[in-house]
Amino acid sequence: MSQPVLNLQKLNKSFGALKATSDLSMTVMPGEIHALIGPNGAGKTTLIQQIYGALKPDSGQVSLNGSEITKLSVPDRVRAGIGRSFQISNVLMDFTVMENGIIAEQARLGHSFRFLQPAFSDAVLIEGAKAILQRVGLEKRAEQRVGDLAHGERRMLELALALAASPSLLLLDEPMAGAGPEDSQRMAEIIEALRGKVAILLIEHDMDAVFRLADRLTVMVEGAVIAAGTVAEISANEAVKLAYLGGEE
Amino acid sequence: MSGLAHFLTLASDGMKANRLFWLLIAGFAFFPIFTHFADLPFWNDVAMRIMLLGMAAMGLNLVLGYGGMVSFGHAAFIGIGAYCVGIGDFYGLTNGWAHMLLGIVVCGLMGLVIGYLALRTSGIYFIMITLAFAQMLFFLFVSLEQFGGDDGMSIDRAEFGFIDLYNPLRLYFLIWVTLALVGLGLMFIVHSRFGVTLRAIKSNESRIEAMGLEPLQFKITGYVISAVICGLAGVLFANWQEYVSPDIMHWTRSGELMIIIILGGLGTLAGPLLGAIVFLLLEESLPIMLDSVAPAYAENWMILFGPLLIMVVMFGRGGLVGLLAAQRQSKNNPKRTKAGQ
Ligand SMILES: Nc1ncnc2c1ncn2[C@@H]1O[C@H](COP(=O)(O)OP(=O)(O)O)[C@@H](O)[C@H]1O
Ligand SMILES: [Mg+2]
Repeated sequence: MSQPVLNLQKLNKSFGALKATSDLSMTVMPGEIHALIGPNGAGKTTLIQQIYGALKPDSGQVSLNGSEITKLSVPDRVRAGIGRSFQISNVLMDFTVMENGIIAEQARLGHSFRFLQPAFSDAVLIEGAKAILQRVGLEKRAEQRVGDLAHGERRMLELALALAASPSLLLLDEPMAGAGPEDSQRMAEIIEALRGKVAILLIEHDMDAVFRLADRLTVMVEGAVIAAGTVAEISANEAVKLAYLGGEE
Repeated sequence: MSGLAHFLTLASDGMKANRLFWLLIAGFAFFPIFTHFADLPFWNDVAMRIMLLGMAAMGLNLVLGYGGMVSFGHAAFIGIGAYCVGIGDFYGLTNGWAHMLLGIVVCGLMGLVIGYLALRTSGIYFIMITLAFAQMLFFLFVSLEQFGGDDGMSIDRAEFGFIDLYNPLRLYFLIWVTLALVGLGLMFIVHSRFGVTLRAIKSNESRIEAMGLEPLQFKITGYVISAVICGLAGVLFANWQEYVSPDIMHWTRSGELMIIIILGGLGTLAGPLLGAIVFLLLEESLPIMLDSVAPAYAENWMILFGPLLIMVVMFGRGGLVGLLAAQRQSKNNPKRTKAGQ
Protein backbone atom coordinates (compact mmCIF):
# COMPACT_ATOMS: atom_id res chain seq x y z
CA MET A 1 0.00 0.00 0.00
CA SER A 2 1.27 3.42 -0.86
CA GLN A 3 1.33 6.15 1.75
CA PRO A 4 -1.79 8.30 2.00
CA VAL A 5 -1.56 11.90 0.82
CA LEU A 6 -3.72 13.03 3.70
CA ASN A 7 -3.98 11.28 7.01
CA LEU A 8 -6.28 12.62 9.74
CA GLN A 9 -6.01 11.06 13.18
CA LYS A 10 -8.61 11.57 15.90
CA LEU A 11 -9.37 15.18 15.10
CA ASN A 12 -11.60 17.04 17.53
CA LYS A 13 -12.96 20.56 17.27
CA SER A 14 -15.68 22.19 19.36
CA PHE A 15 -17.38 25.54 19.07
CA GLY A 16 -18.55 26.01 22.65
CA ALA A 17 -20.89 23.13 23.37
CA LEU A 18 -21.15 22.18 19.69
CA LYS A 19 -18.88 19.36 18.63
CA ALA A 20 -18.15 20.19 14.98
CA THR A 21 -15.47 17.49 14.56
CA SER A 22 -15.64 14.41 16.71
CA ASP A 23 -12.76 11.89 16.92
CA LEU A 24 -12.49 11.98 13.19
CA SER A 25 -9.94 9.85 11.35
CA MET A 26 -9.70 9.36 7.60
CA THR A 27 -7.23 9.09 4.75
CA VAL A 28 -7.08 10.32 1.18
CA MET A 29 -4.92 8.21 -1.16
CA PRO A 30 -2.73 9.50 -4.01
CA GLY A 31 -4.64 10.36 -7.16
CA GLU A 32 -8.08 9.43 -5.82
CA ILE A 33 -11.19 11.57 -5.85
CA HIS A 34 -12.52 11.29 -2.34
CA ALA A 35 -15.95 12.75 -1.71
CA LEU A 36 -16.95 14.05 1.69
CA ILE A 37 -20.72 14.10 2.05
CA GLY A 38 -23.17 14.79 4.81
CA PRO A 39 -26.15 17.01 5.61
CA ASN A 40 -25.81 20.75 6.04
CA GLY A 41 -24.06 21.58 9.29
CA ALA A 42 -22.40 18.16 9.51
CA GLY A 43 -19.01 19.83 9.88
CA LYS A 44 -17.56 19.34 6.39
CA THR A 45 -16.31 22.90 5.93
CA THR A 46 -14.96 22.92 9.49
CA LEU A 47 -12.99 19.78 8.68
CA ILE A 48 -11.58 21.30 5.49
CA GLN A 49 -10.57 24.37 7.48
CA GLN A 50 -8.54 22.21 9.85
CA ILE A 51 -6.83 20.39 6.99
CA TYR A 52 -6.07 23.74 5.38
CA GLY A 53 -4.84 25.36 8.58
CA ALA A 54 -7.36 28.17 8.96
CA LEU A 55 -8.75 26.45 12.08
CA LYS A 56 -6.65 24.65 14.67
CA PRO A 57 -8.09 21.35 15.94
CA ASP A 58 -8.51 21.01 19.71
CA SER A 59 -6.72 17.68 19.49
CA GLY A 60 -5.58 15.19 16.87
CA GLN A 61 -3.14 15.15 13.99
CA VAL A 62 -3.10 16.21 10.34
CA SER A 63 -0.40 14.64 8.16
CA LEU A 64 0.39 15.41 4.54
CA ASN A 65 2.48 12.90 2.58
CA GLY A 66 3.74 11.38 5.82
CA SER A 67 4.78 14.55 7.62
CA GLU A 68 2.76 16.15 10.34
CA ILE A 69 1.45 19.62 9.47
CA THR A 70 -0.92 20.20 12.41
CA LYS A 71 1.05 23.22 13.62
CA LEU A 72 1.81 24.82 10.23
CA SER A 73 0.24 28.10 9.05
CA VAL A 74 -1.95 28.28 5.96
CA PRO A 75 0.81 29.56 3.61
CA ASP A 76 3.20 26.90 4.90
CA ARG A 77 0.64 24.18 4.22
CA VAL A 78 0.03 25.55 0.75
CA ARG A 79 3.74 25.41 0.05
CA ALA A 80 3.75 21.87 1.44
CA GLY A 81 1.25 20.91 -1.27
CA ILE A 82 -2.34 21.85 -0.43
CA GLY A 83 -4.53 23.70 -2.94
CA ARG A 84 -8.02 24.88 -2.12
CA SER A 85 -11.22 26.29 -3.52
CA PHE A 86 -13.66 27.79 -1.05
CA GLN A 87 -17.40 27.35 -0.54
CA ILE A 88 -17.85 30.99 -1.55
CA SER A 89 -15.65 31.65 -4.56
CA ASN A 90 -12.43 33.27 -3.57
CA VAL A 91 -10.52 34.98 -6.37
CA LEU A 92 -8.92 38.40 -6.86
CA MET A 93 -12.01 40.34 -7.88
CA ASP A 94 -10.32 43.68 -8.66
CA PHE A 95 -8.01 42.16 -11.26
CA THR A 96 -8.35 40.60 -14.69
CA VAL A 97 -8.30 36.85 -15.26
CA MET A 98 -4.78 37.14 -16.67
CA GLU A 99 -3.62 39.18 -13.69
CA ASN A 100 -5.01 36.53 -11.35
CA GLY A 101 -2.95 33.98 -13.25
CA ILE A 102 0.17 36.14 -13.14
CA ILE A 103 -0.05 36.62 -9.38
CA ALA A 104 -0.54 32.87 -8.91
CA GLU A 105 2.46 32.22 -11.14
CA GLN A 106 4.75 34.63 -9.29
CA ALA A 107 3.62 33.08 -5.99
CA ARG A 108 4.40 29.63 -7.41
CA LEU A 109 7.87 30.75 -8.46
CA GLY A 110 8.47 32.16 -4.99
CA HIS A 111 9.92 35.48 -6.13
CA SER A 112 7.44 38.06 -4.98
CA PHE A 113 9.90 40.36 -3.20
CA ARG A 114 10.99 42.20 -6.33
CA PHE A 115 10.49 45.89 -6.64
CA LEU A 116 11.44 47.07 -10.13
CA GLN A 117 10.22 45.03 -13.10
CA PRO A 118 6.46 45.45 -13.71
CA ALA A 119 4.80 42.09 -13.01
CA PHE A 120 1.89 42.32 -15.44
CA SER A 121 4.12 42.76 -18.49
CA ASP A 122 6.71 40.18 -17.46
CA ALA A 123 6.95 37.65 -20.32
CA VAL A 124 7.93 34.78 -18.01
CA LEU A 125 4.94 35.37 -15.75
CA ILE A 126 2.55 35.77 -18.70
CA GLU A 127 3.67 32.41 -20.12
CA GLY A 128 3.13 30.73 -16.76
CA ALA A 129 -0.23 32.41 -16.30
CA LYS A 130 -1.43 31.22 -19.72
CA ALA A 131 -0.57 27.64 -18.78
CA ILE A 132 -2.49 28.05 -15.51
CA LEU A 133 -5.58 29.38 -17.29
CA GLN A 134 -5.46 26.80 -20.08
CA ARG A 135 -5.94 24.00 -17.59
CA VAL A 136 -9.54 25.15 -17.07
CA GLY A 137 -10.11 26.63 -20.53
CA LEU A 138 -10.16 30.26 -19.40
CA GLU A 139 -7.36 31.55 -21.64
CA LYS A 140 -9.89 33.17 -23.99
CA ARG A 141 -11.27 35.21 -21.11
CA ALA A 142 -7.83 36.44 -20.04
CA GLU A 143 -8.56 40.15 -20.44
CA GLN A 144 -11.90 40.08 -18.60
CA ARG A 145 -12.15 41.66 -15.16
CA VAL A 146 -13.01 38.92 -12.70
CA GLY A 147 -15.84 41.06 -11.39
CA ASP A 148 -17.48 40.78 -14.85
CA LEU A 149 -17.18 36.99 -15.09
CA ALA A 150 -20.15 34.67 -14.78
CA HIS A 151 -20.34 32.78 -11.52
CA GLY A 152 -19.35 29.47 -13.09
CA GLU A 153 -16.30 30.98 -14.76
CA ARG A 154 -15.23 32.45 -11.46
CA ARG A 155 -15.37 28.99 -9.90
CA MET A 156 -13.29 27.70 -12.81
CA LEU A 157 -10.73 30.45 -12.23
CA GLU A 158 -10.57 29.59 -8.56
CA LEU A 159 -9.87 25.99 -9.47
CA ALA A 160 -7.10 27.13 -11.81
CA LEU A 161 -5.53 29.20 -9.02
CA ALA A 162 -5.77 26.27 -6.62
CA LEU A 163 -4.02 24.05 -9.18
CA ALA A 164 -1.36 26.60 -10.08
CA ALA A 165 1.30 25.34 -7.69
CA SER A 166 0.70 21.66 -8.63
CA PRO A 167 -0.58 20.63 -5.19
CA SER A 168 -0.54 17.00 -4.04
CA LEU A 169 -3.91 17.50 -2.33
CA LEU A 170 -6.78 19.58 -3.65
CA LEU A 171 -9.57 20.62 -1.29
CA LEU A 172 -12.77 21.51 -3.17
CA ASP A 173 -15.62 22.87 -1.06
CA GLU A 174 -18.81 22.66 -3.14
CA PRO A 175 -17.17 23.70 -6.44
CA MET A 176 -20.45 23.32 -8.33
CA ALA A 177 -22.73 25.08 -5.86
CA GLY A 178 -24.68 27.84 -7.54
CA ALA A 179 -23.38 27.04 -11.03
CA GLY A 180 -25.75 26.29 -13.89
CA PRO A 181 -25.98 22.79 -15.41
CA GLU A 182 -23.49 23.57 -18.19
CA ASP A 183 -20.88 25.00 -15.84
CA SER A 184 -21.40 22.08 -13.45
CA GLN A 185 -20.86 19.70 -16.34
CA ARG A 186 -17.63 21.45 -17.31
CA MET A 187 -16.44 21.50 -13.73
CA ALA A 188 -17.15 17.77 -13.43
CA GLU A 189 -15.17 17.13 -16.62
CA ILE A 190 -12.21 19.09 -15.32
CA ILE A 191 -12.29 17.26 -11.99
CA GLU A 192 -12.61 13.95 -13.84
CA ALA A 193 -9.51 14.84 -15.89
CA LEU A 194 -7.55 15.38 -12.68
CA ARG A 195 -8.19 11.83 -11.48
CA GLY A 196 -4.88 10.07 -10.92
CA LYS A 197 -2.91 13.32 -11.12
CA VAL A 198 -3.80 14.89 -7.80
CA ALA A 199 -5.60 13.63 -4.71
CA ILE A 200 -8.90 15.46 -4.36
CA LEU A 201 -11.09 15.85 -1.31
CA LEU A 202 -14.43 16.93 -2.72
CA ILE A 203 -17.41 18.27 -0.81
CA GLU A 204 -20.46 18.21 -3.04
CA HIS A 205 -24.21 18.10 -2.54
CA ASP A 206 -25.15 16.94 -6.02
CA MET A 207 -25.31 13.17 -5.44
CA ASP A 208 -25.29 12.33 -9.15
CA ALA A 209 -22.01 14.18 -9.54
CA VAL A 210 -20.61 12.57 -6.39
CA PHE A 211 -21.48 9.04 -7.48
CA ARG A 212 -20.05 9.67 -10.93
CA LEU A 213 -16.79 11.23 -9.76
CA ALA A 214 -15.85 9.67 -6.45
CA ASP A 215 -13.48 6.74 -6.05
CA ARG A 216 -14.28 6.63 -2.36
CA LEU A 217 -16.71 8.43 -0.05
CA THR A 218 -16.71 9.45 3.56
CA VAL A 219 -20.08 10.23 5.13
CA MET A 220 -20.22 12.68 8.03
CA VAL A 221 -23.05 13.38 10.41
CA GLU A 222 -22.73 15.72 13.39
CA GLY A 223 -18.97 15.90 13.22
CA ALA A 224 -18.32 12.16 13.05
CA VAL A 225 -17.72 9.66 10.24
CA ILE A 226 -20.66 7.25 10.05
CA ALA A 227 -19.47 5.36 6.99
CA ALA A 228 -16.61 5.23 4.49
CA GLY A 229 -16.07 3.15 1.38
CA THR A 230 -16.56 2.87 -2.35
CA VAL A 231 -19.64 4.20 -4.12
CA ALA A 232 -21.16 0.72 -4.20
CA GLU A 233 -20.52 0.13 -0.52
CA ILE A 234 -21.96 3.46 0.53
CA SER A 235 -25.08 3.26 -1.58
CA ALA A 236 -25.79 -0.16 -0.02
CA ASN A 237 -25.11 1.06 3.53
CA GLU A 238 -28.27 1.04 5.66
CA ALA A 239 -26.98 3.52 8.22
CA VAL A 240 -26.21 6.03 5.49
CA LYS A 241 -29.58 5.56 3.85
CA LEU A 242 -31.24 6.17 7.15
CA ALA A 243 -29.19 9.10 8.32
CA TYR A 244 -28.61 10.88 5.09
CA LEU A 245 -29.55 9.56 1.68
CA GLY A 246 -33.02 8.45 2.76
CA GLY A 247 -33.56 11.57 4.78
CA GLU A 248 -33.50 13.73 1.68
CA GLU A 249 -36.19 11.83 -0.18
CA MET B 1 24.69 48.95 -19.92
CA SER B 2 21.64 47.09 -21.17
CA GLY B 3 20.48 47.22 -17.55
CA LEU B 4 20.41 51.00 -17.71
CA ALA B 5 18.69 50.99 -21.10
CA HIS B 6 16.12 48.57 -19.72
CA PHE B 7 15.58 50.81 -16.71
CA LEU B 8 15.10 53.86 -18.94
CA THR B 9 12.55 52.03 -21.09
CA LEU B 10 10.64 51.01 -17.99
CA ALA B 11 10.79 54.55 -16.63
CA SER B 12 9.55 56.14 -19.84
CA ASP B 13 6.72 53.60 -20.17
CA GLY B 14 5.77 54.33 -16.59
CA MET B 15 5.82 58.06 -17.17
CA LYS B 16 3.52 57.72 -20.16
CA ALA B 17 1.10 55.70 -18.06
CA ASN B 18 1.23 58.26 -15.22
CA ARG B 19 1.15 61.43 -17.26
CA LEU B 20 -0.83 63.46 -14.74
CA PHE B 21 1.69 62.93 -11.97
CA TRP B 22 4.67 63.88 -14.12
CA LEU B 23 2.83 66.91 -15.47
CA LEU B 24 2.34 68.08 -11.89
CA ILE B 25 6.03 67.47 -11.17
CA ALA B 26 6.94 69.48 -14.28
CA GLY B 27 4.57 72.19 -13.11
CA PHE B 28 6.39 72.43 -9.78
CA ALA B 29 9.71 72.69 -11.63
CA PHE B 30 8.55 75.76 -13.56
CA PHE B 31 6.49 77.31 -10.78
CA PRO B 32 9.37 79.41 -9.30
CA ILE B 33 9.83 81.10 -12.69
CA PHE B 34 6.19 82.09 -12.59
CA THR B 35 6.37 83.39 -9.01
CA HIS B 36 9.54 85.29 -9.89
CA PHE B 37 7.95 87.17 -12.76
CA ALA B 38 4.61 87.59 -11.04
CA ASP B 39 6.50 88.79 -7.97
CA LEU B 40 4.74 86.37 -5.63
CA PRO B 41 7.60 84.82 -3.64
CA PHE B 42 5.18 83.83 -0.87
CA TRP B 43 3.72 81.24 -3.21
CA ASN B 44 7.03 79.39 -3.40
CA ASP B 45 6.54 78.75 0.27
CA VAL B 46 3.03 77.40 -0.34
CA ALA B 47 4.37 75.21 -3.13
CA MET B 48 7.02 73.76 -0.83
CA ARG B 49 4.40 72.99 1.79
CA ILE B 50 2.27 71.31 -0.87
CA MET B 51 5.18 69.21 -2.09
CA LEU B 52 6.09 68.16 1.46
CA LEU B 53 2.57 67.17 2.46
CA GLY B 54 2.09 65.59 -0.97
CA MET B 55 5.23 63.51 -0.44
CA ALA B 56 4.06 62.32 2.97
CA ALA B 57 0.61 61.54 1.55
CA MET B 58 2.24 59.54 -1.27
CA GLY B 59 4.06 57.54 1.39
CA LEU B 60 0.85 56.87 3.30
CA ASN B 61 -0.95 56.06 0.05
CA LEU B 62 1.26 53.00 -0.43
CA VAL B 63 -0.31 51.37 2.62
CA LEU B 64 -3.70 53.12 2.61
CA GLY B 65 -4.51 53.20 -1.09
CA TYR B 66 -2.58 50.25 -2.51
CA GLY B 67 -2.41 48.04 0.58
CA GLY B 68 -5.79 48.82 2.14
CA MET B 69 -4.24 49.43 5.57
CA VAL B 70 -5.91 52.38 7.25
CA SER B 71 -2.99 53.73 9.26
CA PHE B 72 -4.07 56.67 11.38
CA GLY B 73 -0.64 57.44 12.75
CA HIS B 74 1.58 58.38 9.87
CA ALA B 75 2.18 61.91 11.11
CA ALA B 76 4.40 60.25 13.72
CA PHE B 77 6.89 59.34 11.00
CA ILE B 78 6.93 62.92 9.70
CA GLY B 79 7.63 63.99 13.27
CA ILE B 80 10.39 61.45 13.78
CA GLY B 81 12.02 62.59 10.54
CA ALA B 82 11.80 66.21 11.64
CA TYR B 83 13.23 65.46 15.09
CA CYS B 84 16.11 63.60 13.44
CA VAL B 85 17.12 67.05 12.19
CA GLY B 86 16.45 68.84 15.48
CA ILE B 87 18.03 66.26 17.76
CA GLY B 88 20.86 65.66 15.28
CA ASP B 89 21.62 69.39 15.37
CA PHE B 90 21.41 69.37 19.16
CA TYR B 91 24.21 66.81 19.32
CA GLY B 92 26.33 68.57 16.71
CA LEU B 93 25.29 66.55 13.67
CA THR B 94 24.70 69.36 11.20
CA ASN B 95 25.08 67.59 7.86
CA GLY B 96 21.77 67.39 6.01
CA TRP B 97 22.63 64.15 4.19
CA ALA B 98 23.36 62.60 7.56
CA HIS B 99 19.96 63.82 8.78
CA MET B 100 18.32 62.17 5.79
CA LEU B 101 20.15 58.91 6.41
CA LEU B 102 19.23 59.07 10.09
CA GLY B 103 15.59 59.81 9.23
CA ILE B 104 15.47 56.87 6.83
CA VAL B 105 17.02 54.44 9.32
CA VAL B 106 15.04 55.56 12.37
CA CYS B 107 11.70 55.75 10.51
CA GLY B 108 12.41 52.40 8.88
CA LEU B 109 13.02 50.81 12.29
CA MET B 110 10.01 52.51 13.87
CA GLY B 111 7.89 51.46 10.90
CA LEU B 112 9.12 47.89 11.36
CA VAL B 113 8.27 47.82 15.07
CA ILE B 114 4.91 49.58 14.79
CA GLY B 115 4.00 47.65 11.65
CA TYR B 116 5.00 44.33 13.20
CA LEU B 117 2.79 44.95 16.23
CA ALA B 118 -0.13 46.78 14.62
CA LEU B 119 -0.50 44.64 11.49
CA ARG B 120 -1.44 41.63 13.59
CA THR B 121 -4.80 43.35 13.90
CA SER B 122 -7.09 44.72 11.22
CA GLY B 123 -10.08 46.97 10.72
CA ILE B 124 -10.92 49.35 13.53
CA TYR B 125 -8.31 47.80 15.85
CA PHE B 126 -5.55 48.57 13.38
CA ILE B 127 -6.73 52.17 13.08
CA MET B 128 -6.80 52.56 16.87
CA ILE B 129 -3.41 50.93 17.45
CA THR B 130 -1.63 53.05 14.85
CA LEU B 131 -3.27 56.13 16.37
CA ALA B 132 -2.21 55.00 19.85
CA PHE B 133 1.43 54.60 18.77
CA ALA B 134 1.38 58.05 17.21
CA GLN B 135 -0.11 59.56 20.35
CA MET B 136 2.53 57.83 22.47
CA LEU B 137 5.27 59.39 20.35
CA PHE B 138 3.52 62.76 20.43
CA PHE B 139 3.48 62.80 24.23
CA LEU B 140 6.99 61.42 24.39
CA PHE B 141 8.26 64.47 22.53
CA VAL B 142 6.05 66.77 24.58
CA SER B 143 7.76 65.39 27.68
CA LEU B 144 11.34 65.67 26.37
CA GLU B 145 12.22 69.01 27.93
CA GLN B 146 15.80 69.06 26.65
CA PHE B 147 14.41 69.13 23.10
CA GLY B 148 12.00 71.94 23.86
CA GLY B 149 9.07 69.86 25.05
CA ASP B 150 5.80 71.42 24.06
CA ASP B 151 7.44 74.50 22.57
CA GLY B 152 9.71 72.57 20.26
CA MET B 153 13.14 73.63 19.10
CA SER B 154 14.29 75.97 16.41
CA ILE B 155 16.54 74.57 13.75
CA ASP B 156 19.26 75.92 11.52
CA ARG B 157 18.78 74.77 7.99
CA ALA B 158 21.16 71.88 7.54
CA GLU B 159 24.34 71.80 5.48
CA PHE B 160 23.74 69.86 2.31
CA GLY B 161 27.29 70.19 1.00
CA PHE B 162 27.25 72.55 -1.94
CA ILE B 163 23.50 73.12 -1.60
CA ASP B 164 23.02 76.21 0.56
CA LEU B 165 19.46 75.92 1.86
CA TYR B 166 19.35 79.58 2.87
CA ASN B 167 19.06 80.20 -0.81
CA PRO B 168 15.28 79.62 -0.94
CA LEU B 169 15.34 78.09 -4.41
CA ARG B 170 17.92 75.50 -3.36
CA LEU B 171 15.59 74.24 -0.64
CA TYR B 172 12.74 74.34 -3.14
CA PHE B 173 14.60 72.15 -5.59
CA LEU B 174 15.93 69.80 -2.93
CA ILE B 175 12.31 69.14 -2.01
CA TRP B 176 11.35 68.91 -5.67
CA VAL B 177 14.08 66.38 -6.54
CA THR B 178 13.22 64.26 -3.49
CA LEU B 179 9.55 64.33 -4.43
CA ALA B 180 10.30 63.33 -8.02
CA LEU B 181 12.53 60.47 -6.86
CA VAL B 182 9.91 59.27 -4.38
CA GLY B 183 7.37 59.36 -7.22
CA LEU B 184 9.70 57.43 -9.50
CA GLY B 185 10.33 54.84 -6.80
CA LEU B 186 6.64 54.40 -6.02
CA MET B 187 5.81 54.19 -9.71
CA PHE B 188 8.07 51.14 -9.98
CA ILE B 189 7.07 49.62 -6.66
CA VAL B 190 3.31 49.56 -7.23
CA HIS B 191 3.65 47.69 -10.53
CA SER B 192 6.41 45.37 -9.38
CA ARG B 193 5.79 41.84 -8.12
CA PHE B 194 5.88 43.20 -4.60
CA GLY B 195 3.40 45.99 -5.35
CA VAL B 196 1.07 43.71 -7.25
CA THR B 197 1.06 41.31 -4.30
CA LEU B 198 0.32 44.20 -1.93
CA ARG B 199 -2.62 45.29 -4.08
CA ALA B 200 -3.84 41.69 -4.30
CA ILE B 201 -3.75 41.47 -0.49
CA LYS B 202 -5.98 44.54 -0.36
CA SER B 203 -8.34 42.85 -2.81
CA ASN B 204 -8.43 39.46 -1.08
CA GLU B 205 -5.98 38.51 1.61
CA SER B 206 -7.15 34.92 1.98
CA ARG B 207 -6.51 34.15 -1.70
CA ILE B 208 -2.94 35.36 -1.30
CA GLU B 209 -2.54 32.99 1.65
CA ALA B 210 -4.05 30.25 -0.48
CA MET B 211 -1.25 30.92 -2.98
CA GLY B 212 1.29 30.16 -0.26
CA LEU B 213 2.34 33.75 0.46
CA GLU B 214 2.48 35.28 3.93
CA PRO B 215 0.50 38.56 3.69
CA LEU B 216 2.07 39.98 6.86
CA GLN B 217 5.53 40.06 5.29
CA PHE B 218 4.30 42.16 2.39
CA LYS B 219 2.24 44.45 4.59
CA ILE B 220 5.13 45.11 6.96
CA THR B 221 7.48 45.79 4.06
CA GLY B 222 4.98 48.24 2.59
CA TYR B 223 4.53 49.85 5.98
CA VAL B 224 8.28 50.34 6.37
CA ILE B 225 8.62 51.88 2.90
CA SER B 226 5.77 54.28 3.60
CA ALA B 227 7.23 55.21 7.00
CA VAL B 228 10.57 55.98 5.36
CA ILE B 229 8.93 58.25 2.77
CA CYS B 230 7.09 60.15 5.50
CA GLY B 231 10.37 60.38 7.41
CA LEU B 232 12.08 61.92 4.40
CA ALA B 233 9.27 64.44 4.12
CA GLY B 234 9.75 65.17 7.83
CA VAL B 235 13.49 65.82 7.47
CA LEU B 236 12.78 68.34 4.72
CA PHE B 237 9.81 69.76 6.60
CA ALA B 238 12.05 70.62 9.55
CA ASN B 239 14.46 72.42 7.23
CA TRP B 240 11.66 74.29 5.56
CA GLN B 241 10.04 75.31 8.85
CA GLU B 242 13.40 75.93 10.60
CA TYR B 243 11.60 74.67 13.63
CA VAL B 244 10.20 71.45 15.00
CA SER B 245 7.68 70.81 17.76
CA PRO B 246 5.38 67.92 18.66
CA ASP B 247 2.68 69.74 16.71
CA ILE B 248 4.16 68.33 13.52
CA MET B 249 2.97 64.87 14.56
CA HIS B 250 -0.39 65.90 15.96
CA TRP B 251 -3.09 63.35 15.17
CA THR B 252 -4.96 65.91 13.08
CA ARG B 253 -2.07 65.82 10.62
CA SER B 254 -2.54 62.07 10.21
CA GLY B 255 -6.16 62.82 9.42
CA GLU B 256 -5.12 65.57 7.03
CA LEU B 257 -2.95 63.12 5.10
CA MET B 258 -5.86 60.70 4.78
CA ILE B 259 -8.17 63.46 3.59
CA ILE B 260 -5.59 64.56 1.02
CA ILE B 261 -5.33 61.01 -0.35
CA ILE B 262 -9.08 60.41 -0.51
CA LEU B 263 -9.64 63.84 -2.07
CA GLY B 264 -6.99 63.24 -4.72
CA GLY B 265 -7.65 59.57 -5.40
CA LEU B 266 -6.80 56.48 -3.35
CA GLY B 267 -4.29 54.11 -4.86
CA THR B 268 -3.15 56.38 -7.69
CA LEU B 269 0.27 57.91 -8.19
CA ALA B 270 -1.01 61.43 -8.87
CA GLY B 271 -3.83 61.38 -6.30
CA PRO B 272 -1.96 62.39 -3.14
CA LEU B 273 -0.06 65.19 -4.88
CA LEU B 274 -3.17 66.52 -6.59
CA GLY B 275 -5.02 66.19 -3.28
CA ALA B 276 -2.32 68.16 -1.50
CA ILE B 277 -2.48 70.91 -4.11
CA VAL B 278 -6.26 71.29 -3.85
CA PHE B 279 -6.34 70.84 -0.08
CA LEU B 280 -3.72 73.48 0.66
CA LEU B 281 -5.04 75.92 -1.94
CA LEU B 282 -8.49 75.65 -0.39
CA GLU B 283 -6.94 76.05 3.05
CA GLU B 284 -5.33 79.26 1.82
CA SER B 285 -8.26 80.63 -0.11
CA LEU B 286 -11.41 79.53 1.73
CA PRO B 287 -10.76 81.78 4.77
CA ILE B 288 -10.15 84.72 2.43
CA MET B 289 -13.30 83.98 0.44
CA LEU B 290 -15.35 83.53 3.59
CA ASP B 291 -13.89 86.69 5.03
CA SER B 292 -15.28 88.71 2.14
CA VAL B 293 -18.75 87.15 2.40
CA ALA B 294 -19.24 86.39 6.06
CA PRO B 295 -16.30 87.67 8.10
CA ALA B 296 -17.63 86.29 11.35
CA TYR B 297 -17.24 82.77 10.03
CA ALA B 298 -13.85 83.12 8.35
CA GLU B 299 -12.17 81.05 11.05
CA ASN B 300 -14.57 78.21 10.44
CA TRP B 301 -13.63 77.59 6.83
CA MET B 302 -13.75 73.87 7.60
CA ILE B 303 -17.56 74.24 7.56
CA LEU B 304 -17.35 74.74 3.81
CA PHE B 305 -14.48 72.36 3.34
CA GLY B 306 -16.19 69.38 4.96
CA PRO B 307 -19.21 69.25 2.62
CA LEU B 308 -16.96 69.92 -0.37
CA LEU B 309 -14.87 66.92 0.55
CA ILE B 310 -17.92 64.73 1.07
CA MET B 311 -19.17 65.72 -2.38
CA VAL B 312 -15.90 64.76 -4.06
CA VAL B 313 -15.86 61.44 -2.24
CA MET B 314 -19.50 60.67 -3.05
CA PHE B 315 -19.71 61.81 -6.64
CA GLY B 316 -16.23 61.05 -7.81
CA ARG B 317 -15.47 57.71 -6.22
CA GLY B 318 -11.80 57.71 -7.23
CA GLY B 319 -11.31 61.27 -5.95
CA LEU B 320 -10.18 64.07 -8.24
CA VAL B 321 -8.04 61.70 -10.31
CA GLY B 322 -11.13 59.53 -10.81
CA LEU B 323 -13.18 62.57 -11.83
CA LEU B 324 -10.55 63.62 -14.36
CA ALA B 325 -10.35 60.10 -15.79
CA ALA B 326 -14.15 59.89 -16.09
CA GLN B 327 -14.19 63.24 -17.86
CA ARG B 328 -11.57 62.14 -20.35
CA GLN B 329 -13.31 58.88 -20.97
CA SER B 330 -16.72 60.44 -21.57
CA LYS B 331 -15.09 62.88 -23.99
CA ASN B 332 -13.34 60.13 -25.95
CA ASN B 333 -16.18 57.67 -25.74
CA PRO B 334 -19.46 59.39 -24.88
CA LYS B 335 -21.39 56.15 -24.54
CA ARG B 336 -19.31 54.75 -21.70
CA THR B 337 -19.19 57.02 -18.70
CA LYS B 338 -18.10 54.63 -16.00
CA ALA B 339 -15.55 56.23 -13.70
CA GLY B 340 -12.14 54.81 -12.98
CA GLN B 341 -10.42 52.23 -15.17
N1 LIG C 1 -16.62 29.66 13.53
C1 LIG C 1 -17.67 28.99 14.04
N2 LIG C 1 -18.14 29.29 15.27
C2 LIG C 1 -19.19 28.61 15.79
N3 LIG C 1 -19.84 27.63 15.17
C3 LIG C 1 -19.42 27.29 13.93
C4 LIG C 1 -18.32 27.96 13.30
N4 LIG C 1 -18.13 27.41 12.08
C5 LIG C 1 -19.07 26.46 11.96
N5 LIG C 1 -19.84 26.38 13.05
C6 LIG C 1 -20.93 25.42 13.28
O1 LIG C 1 -20.37 24.12 13.12
C7 LIG C 1 -21.28 23.27 12.46
C8 LIG C 1 -20.63 22.72 11.21
O2 LIG C 1 -20.54 23.73 10.22
P1 LIG C 1 -19.89 23.50 8.79
O3 LIG C 1 -18.56 22.88 8.98
O4 LIG C 1 -19.94 24.78 8.07
O5 LIG C 1 -20.91 22.45 8.17
P2 LIG C 1 -21.06 21.96 6.65
O6 LIG C 1 -19.96 22.54 5.84
O7 LIG C 1 -20.99 20.49 6.74
O8 LIG C 1 -22.41 22.41 6.19
C9 LIG C 1 -22.52 24.10 12.16
O9 LIG C 1 -23.48 23.82 13.20
C10 LIG C 1 -22.04 25.51 12.25
O10 LIG C 1 -23.06 26.36 12.68
MG1 LIG D 1 -19.94 23.85 4.19
